[in-house]
Amino acid sequence: MFDKVLIANRGEIALRINRACKEMGISTVAIHSTADAEAMHVRLADESVCVGPPPAAQSYMNIPAIISACEITGAEAIHPGYGFLSENARFAEIVKEHGITFIGPEPEHIRLMGDKIAAKQAVKNVGIPTVPGSGGAVGSDSDAVRIAREIGFPVLIKAASGGGGRGMKVAQKEADLPLALTTARAEAKTAFGDDTVYLEKYLSKPRHIEVQVLADRQGNVIHLGERDCSLQRRHQKLWEEAGSPALNDVERSDIGQVVARALKKLGYLGAGTVEFLFEDGRFFFIEMNTRLQVEHPVTEAITGIDIVREQIRIAAGSPLELAQSDITFAGHAIECRINAENPFTFQPSPGIITQFHPPGGLGVRFDSAMYTGYRIPPYYDSLAGKLVVHGRNRNECLMRLRRALDELVVGGIETTIPLFQRLVRERDVLDGDYHIHWLEQYLAGKGA
Amino acid sequence: MNMKDVKAIGARLSPGQKGRTSVIDADTVRELSELLNETGLTEIEIEQNGARIRVARLPNGRVPLHGEMPAAATQTPPSTEARKEPARGAVTSPMVGTVYIAPEPGAQPFVKVGQTVAEGDTLLIVEAMKTMNPITAPHAGVVTEVCVADAEPVEFGQTLIVIS
Repeated sequence: MFDKVLIANRGEIALRINRACKEMGISTVAIHSTADAEAMHVRLADESVCVGPPPAAQSYMNIPAIISACEITGAEAIHPGYGFLSENARFAEIVKEHGITFIGPEPEHIRLMGDKIAAKQAVKNVGIPTVPGSGGAVGSDSDAVRIAREIGFPVLIKAASGGGGRGMKVAQKEADLPLALTTARAEAKTAFGDDTVYLEKYLSKPRHIEVQVLADRQGNVIHLGERDCSLQRRHQKLWEEAGSPALNDVERSDIGQVVARALKKLGYLGAGTVEFLFEDGRFFFIEMNTRLQVEHPVTEAITGIDIVREQIRIAAGSPLELAQSDITFAGHAIECRINAENPFTFQPSPGIITQFHPPGGLGVRFDSAMYTGYRIPPYYDSLAGKLVVHGRNRNECLMRLRRALDELVVGGIETTIPLFQRLVRERDVLDGDYHIHWLEQYLAGKGA
Repeated sequence: MNMKDVKAIGARLSPGQKGRTSVIDADTVRELSELLNETGLTEIEIEQNGARIRVARLPNGRVPLHGEMPAAATQTPPSTEARKEPARGAVTSPMVGTVYIAPEPGAQPFVKVGQTVAEGDTLLIVEAMKTMNPITAPHAGVVTEVCVADAEPVEFGQTLIVIS
């Protein structure tokens, strides 16, 4: 097991990783930009190293500085968290070359899943159902039209180097296709440096359902059930549930098995999440995230498994302690991502937290780096905290969530707490009857 | 002040004063405070005829409260330099690495306190990932302080040397 781990991230996830390390008796090194010198994870880690000025490119994504920080502190492994360098295959390779363990998958799988066309082909080959589409990059416009006619309109044009909801354009009918293609290519070129696009059938009211897996160096792969992350705004998840209100135990087990078997064939290592669109009882692969996800706590709540701890154990070469038959799902969990934003306009609201009271009680968890007097810097994402609530069933969970949201106090900045207070009283949400366009339609209807 | 004075103070608390049995006047408090300081006591309380006054000194040192916010743990012990605004003339590290004050082990340091340097003179080396990076004087001046030791780990923004 590692003696010392460097946490290459910030905010709530850096604190999360620090917690897992501490419980395993591992010393921690926090890296931070000058803007994060007073951050909670920096205060709680055993050692800290300032790696650069505020911009992420010069600090949290500054590969030489991070490697250097490992060298001067003697850290044996790096946990990259999510975002930043967590899915940067080159970073994973460099870390490896320096004799440091990268807590995550092999660079080849990071690279594979980062290329959305190659990823789709690879998972298709190992039995994962995919969205009907072009299969590969589309060449000429006439090719695109031909393929789109086969798939059936409406079609979605996606950037091969995109992902995370970025770089997608819809063509409702054939006449829309040429312009949509041109725009998509141009935007992809600007955003990702690569204008390669592919086509997929556009699903009208799918749910976003993803499966969490763990795979060790000995080839054991297990799944930890699914999460429903359909409530999104601009492709950013705001509310996640474990398990999905749309699945029964048989469907849950089936898709879990399909995913676990497929990743075993692929030789995957570490934690990962396979994301699907689910419509009319069918699953369609969209992408795989080769890292820890923001919403991992809801899976932890229903399985009792510390996913970060498992990541570290796997990276250190330990085999998984549990087999699939040992994994049980108890109750229901919901996470609300509380952002430092205006709850109606979503305008970012950095600033000083004048009052902070996290809710507590049975089944309530609040993962956040905030504290009274903390100044949220303007340079990074606006996630202020994750409220994760567990109950013995979905109804109890919703009641508890309502109570916890009403108890949570964050003063001095604007947060999206009021939005969640409305959502938890909304009929469709209470019924679990929503899809990936629901939230935006709701916000548009409310005049937001 | 002596015990006679304490008694005198106590006498003021006597209900004999018309309608002012529960009023403590400022003079009394002031005198008790002086008594506190003179004697080195932490607390004095006197009571007479139902009137009571207590003067206490708060502890000087910081008493660590249960659950008090932990201060930032820094990588290098002379902790706060990287946190505060660097002093005027401070040359800070542009990177994370190990600082060397001499070109080789055992050799003379690049610069000493009191030495005059010209703009561009090498002051120190910061080694990061096996590459040696010379840190040069941003302006001419006199070295007033060398803030690091040889082979010490340094972080971004840490003050290395001060040139007036």
